[in-house]
Amino acid sequence: MIYEIFIKNDAWLTILNGFLITVEISAFSLICGTILGTIVCFCRMSKFTVLSILAKIYISIVRGSPVLMLLMLLFYGVFAGSGLSPLFVAVVTFSLHTAAYVAELLRSAIMATDIGQVEAARTLGFSKWQAFRFITLPQIAHIAKPVYQSIIVNLIQWTSVVGYVTITDLTRVINNIASRTMQPMITITGGLLIYLSISYIVYGVFTLTNRSSTK
Amino acid sequence: MSIIEVRNLYKSFNGVEILKNVNLKVEEGERIAIIGGSGGGKSVFLRCLELLEIPDNGEIFINGQEITAPNADIDKIRQNMGMVYQKFHLFQHLNVMENLTLAPIKLLKMSKAEAEKKAIGWLEKVSLTSKKFSYPNELSGGQQQRIAICRSLMMNPKLMLFDEPTSALDPTMVGEVLATIRMLSKIKLTMIIVTHEMNFAKEVADRILFFADHGIYEQGTPKQIFDNPQKPLTVAFIHKLKFFHYDIYDKNFDLIQMQGKIWEFAEKYGLNRKQTFNLQHCCEESIFEIFDGVYKTDEKINISIDIEYSESNKQTEIKIASIGRQYNPFDVDIDDDDTEHLGIMIINKIAQNVTYEYNDNVNLIKIQI
Repeated sequence: MIYEIFIKNDAWLTILNGFLITVEISAFSLICGTILGTIVCFCRMSKFTVLSILAKIYISIVRGSPVLMLLMLLFYGVFAGSGLSPLFVAVVTFSLHTAAYVAELLRSAIMATDIGQVEAARTLGFSKWQAFRFITLPQIAHIAKPVYQSIIVNLIQWTSVVGYVTITDLTRVINNIASRTMQPMITITGGLLIYLSISYIVYGVFTLTNRSSTK
Repeated sequence: MSIIEVRNLYKSFNGVEILKNVNLKVEEGERIAIIGGSGGGKSVFLRCLELLEIPDNGEIFINGQEITAPNADIDKIRQNMGMVYQKFHLFQHLNVMENLTLAPIKLLKMSKAEAEKKAIGWLEKVSLTSKKFSYPNELSGGQQQRIAICRSLMMNPKLMLFDEPTSALDPTMVGEVLATIRMLSKIKLTMIIVTHEMNFAKEVADRILFFADHGIYEQGTPKQIFDNPQKPLTVAFIHKLKFFHYDIYDKNFDLIQMQGKIWEFAEKYGLNRKQTFNLQHCCEESIFEIFDGVYKTDEKINISIDIEYSESNKQTEIKIASIGRQYNPFDVDIDDDDTEHLGIMIINKIAQNVTYEYNDNVNLIKIQI
């Protein structure tokens, strides 16, 4: 039966496609979200009050509302009739979503670093950039790593709502198969296991980088 | 050429003036200790030398180069200066060896092997070779500070600045850090040390700068500053003088309140019971003698009492100034059963020395206990 549900009649191919869509949305959103988040964090901590307030408003709105609402707002509202592909809109949505979390994460990591160490580096003769590169950045990375890891895993899980805007991601595929085969219990458990394994791959990658950095 | 020259330095924070017109020249090889109360601008001055604080006005020359000039290569000039902080500020993500070798490898383009060899040399001098692979959070405060000193020395600085290097340490660890600095004083290195360790300053410095009143208030050799300070704030600081002040404008003043305040003052600085009683007695008796002698029934009263207590030699001096006609309460003949001048008898008995003078309408009585 498992063969019939997951493999037969190219079912495996459909699942693989859905899986790739999920990975694609997650990966692009992660990259764009991290870059955007860095910029938002920069604004949030900027000396210009206007920038800082705008960033603060952005962060509180995005973090305070369900990502599905944001997705529907962009797809059916802001970008309606613009002809943009649903995939693109999803990536934009999840980038915006991730950016807010990354910005707050970076801000707390930066605030946890010790300005005294930067001064110590400067008085040794390091330039501002060198002090950031050799002292602040490695420490921010170290502090932010565990939380960043869970931001990634959360992001992957949140992408499961893109079915609402006509994208056939892993969740949608699993759902379709479940209705077709009338075997929701087994099918959905299988889908769950796939999500679970993606999460553990992410955790695994982080553990590996931790090990290599402490060596 | 002086290694440091500071001209007309001004620095304020949010309109509060910290340094005002500071001038200083330091010659190569000089060892200078900066002392003074907190808030006197000692640390700010040191941070200005490193340009960690931007002065509002004035010029600073390090080794002939003006660090305050707009086009100065600050990073290059800073390579010649080492700075040691109160809270060490070791790089937390690097081990001891990496802390020491990072700057020489990146900035002096030293090879890793060469830098490590040099680091071992310094670690031997501060006897911390066994800790070369430890991380800062595994070390005690004293060990961290010794590593921080080595980190600065790795850059071959001509000049070392120490910003209260022992203030954040347990008393048990102060010694090891001072010993390290003492060791440095044997090599030819210009040093400026902000410190609260007076004995250390006395022993290691060629010149003492006393900071107060927005700048260098008095300077001189340790002998001059510690044994024979000239200006009032320096004297007060060196002898750890504590002050008490009370004004009286009325014959029916609140005596109990005054006595309470004197008691509070005495309690705060650890005077014993007898000393406290003596202080209270002397003040009370003198005041009533002055009431009777200086002022007529309806005259306006103006008496001020100042008590000075020296924590270093435990001496107390009371100064009582009264504005009015000349009257010396101690200028009386007293025989043993005189009841009228009982107060004077008490004071004479307690005091080591009593003086009286009259100037510009002011009677001034000084009583030393």
